[in-house]
Amino acid sequence: MGFDLANVTVEERKELERNVFVGTLEQLKAWARSNSLWPLTFGLACCAIEMMGTGASHYDLDRFGVMFRTSPRQSDVMIVAGTVTKKMGPLLRRLYDQMPEPKWVIAMGSCATAGGPYVKSYAVMKGVDQIVPVDVYIPGCPPNPAALIYGINKLQEKIRYEAKTGKRVTAR
Amino acid sequence: MKGMLQGLGVTLKALTSKKVTTSYPDEPLQMPDRFRGIQYFIPDLCIVCNQCVRVCPTDCITLTGKPNPDPEKKGKVIETYDIQFETCILCDLCTEVCPTEAIVMTNQFELAAYSRDELFKDMHWLSANDKQVRADNNPIGAPGKGGGK
Repeated sequence: MGFDLANVTVEERKELERNVFVGTLEQLKAWARSNSLWPLTFGLACCAIEMMGTGASHYDLDRFGVMFRTSPRQSDVMIVAGTVTKKMGPLLRRLYDQMPEPKWVIAMGSCATAGGPYVKSYAVMKGVDQIVPVDVYIPGCPPNPAALIYGINKLQEKIRYEAKTGKRVTAR
Repeated sequence: MKGMLQGLGVTLKALTSKKVTTSYPDEPLQMPDRFRGIQYFIPDLCIVCNQCVRVCPTDCITLTGKPNPDPEKKGKVIETYDIQFETCILCDLCTEVCPTEAIVMTNQFELAAYSRDELFKDMHWLSANDKQVRADNNPIGAPGKGGGK
């Protein structure tokens, strides 16, 4: 079954351009990965309530292929929703290490981003990026469900951009 | 059998009922008017009274002022005004305490970023954030705007 690409007519060429998408395998993988982000539910505080609300029918995270998993071995993205205390930090790192590659982290809320209202506390970690690499920060206390959806869309954009250009969005 | 028919009745009723899911990323989401979103800052109204910095529970606001360049006028004008949205908990205290309503809340919430540096917003960014400004702003200290009763 041969197809002579050298002698295609103009009409055939236009038809081909309309029907055949050309891209790299990385882009195809990024498309599939960004549309099936399975998060590990890491609800630690009040942000978890908003995260649950985003998963429920009014905002419906299933529309974006985001389905919550309860095991780190089945998940791609960890949504750290809430205050990470210094006692919880090593456990968070262990759960992150148990997730299979490729993996991403969303820091949801002020506490996970920088400590939030507990920024002067002796027992709270000042940002979850001290122990795991964070991809998207969502400020707010807590961020409303639409802000979480916006953050997840930013993460999807980042996955596709990094696969398309081979560059990192931020220098780590 | 009766139970199954009852269950089917519930299912059929749900088929014709109104959809509850919002189509948020495709359509903008209208938040209620008292929603606490990202602040909008009006530099001309600010009198550098430092009250928002003092009331902020997480110390995320920093500001500096300079003497009024017009020698006829007294007081100070704002020079820099920065809010660190890493720690800002959008508690509404700075807008509540502001005597001239120079800082007000908006209904904006889309602030997710790829790095923590992007969450540091200066005066120019905050004064450009003038969409969907909240109408009801607890004008407790502003007699000109119906407060101070």
